[in-house]
Amino acid sequence: MEHLSIHDPPPPQPGGGPHPGGPQGPPPPPQAQQLPPQMFTTAAQLLDLTDKKLLLVLRDGRKLIGILRSWDQFANLVLQSTVERVFATVSNPKDPHPKGLYADQLHGIFLVRGENVLLLGEIDLDKDDDPPFGYEKAEFAVVKKLADEQKAAEKSKETRRIKKLATLGFEGENMGEILL
Amino acid sequence: MADVEEGPSGSVSEPLDLVRLLLDEVVFVKLRGDRELKGRLYAYDSHMNLVLGDVVETIYVVDEEDEEEEDIKASPDIAFLLSHMLTFRIDYHQKI
Amino acid sequence: MLFFSFFKTLIDHEVTVELKNDIQIRGTLKSVDQYLNIKLDDIHVVEEIKYPHLSSVKNVFIRGSVVRYVHLPAAAVDVPLLEDATRREAANQAGKGK
Repeated sequence: MEHLSIHDPPPPQPGGGPHPGGPQGPPPPPQAQQLPPQMFTTAAQLLDLTDKKLLLVLRDGRKLIGILRSWDQFANLVLQSTVERVFATVSNPKDPHPKGLYADQLHGIFLVRGENVLLLGEIDLDKDDDPPFGYEKAEFAVVKKLADEQKAAEKSKETRRIKKLATLGFEGENMGEILL
Repeated sequence: MADVEEGPSGSVSEPLDLVRLLLDEVVFVKLRGDRELKGRLYAYDSHMNLVLGDVVETIYVVDEEDEEEEDIKASPDIAFLLSHMLTFRIDYHQKI
Repeated sequence: MLFFSFFKTLIDHEVTVELKNDIQIRGTLKSVDQYLNIKLDDIHVVEEIKYPHLSSVKNVFIRGSVVRYVHLPAAAVDVPLLEDATRREAANQAGKGK
């Protein structure tokens, strides 16, 4: 498959392509078709994210934050100093905008199988210390309990919905699994 | 039988060949989940990834209150108009 | 390979990726691979308040298998070219099957 590794030579510099003996004219405008093909591999995409602090969203909705240390072409990942972050909302009848809570739990090293990955995001370290807008930090056990309750309610609602849609000839998009 | 075109670009020998005949036509697509689309077919591939233009997306909303299974009320009450083009895939799994 | 090539022509355009869990992420298409995994830069999430976990994220790698739609800028798509490429791809596939 991909032969790209951290030991591969970097792609040629823009404008510095192989023009042996050619005139020193202005470099052609960059075009997508002319980008080196090794840029368009899973490996190349993950290479940029290596050793960065990432947010990982799994298929079951869990959010992990950690430093990406290793990976392969299937997007199997190794994360260091992994923290699981949970979110929940507290509805208040007086307030139309529900209050948000979040909490972190330290796990350590995680090896995540690629098929469970929904997305990977690089965290902007300048914004990392700010709590997410509209959310405040709380006790892990409290937030986890709320989040589990909300997820269970969501799941049973989803199950009923899928059942009804099945009678209309629709099949579940996520095989009954909810993605959050 | 006699209507079937012959030749490398016109023959119909497998299901996807019929999709080829729909290129640049307005097509109706039923998706996994709760969605239907109508739009002009610009491209497809063997996974049935598609590019459609001028798409109308219909999302079926199931009535929350109604708990009983026999009494199904799902109405196509949201018609999302997307003037942009979009591609989509029907639950496609990576083959590795 | 058709869609892989097609997405490569859209690099550096603004697209919106809608995932199967309904999150919509808008950003600049930076990279794509053979599985149609997608990398977006300078992202912002439509309905940000519902998805607080992405508030401090600046670029994302999205696994191709979780994408429902990619909304494309109409101006960036050459429709006749795309239809021709589709016919060519279909002819190639038919050739392989025999």
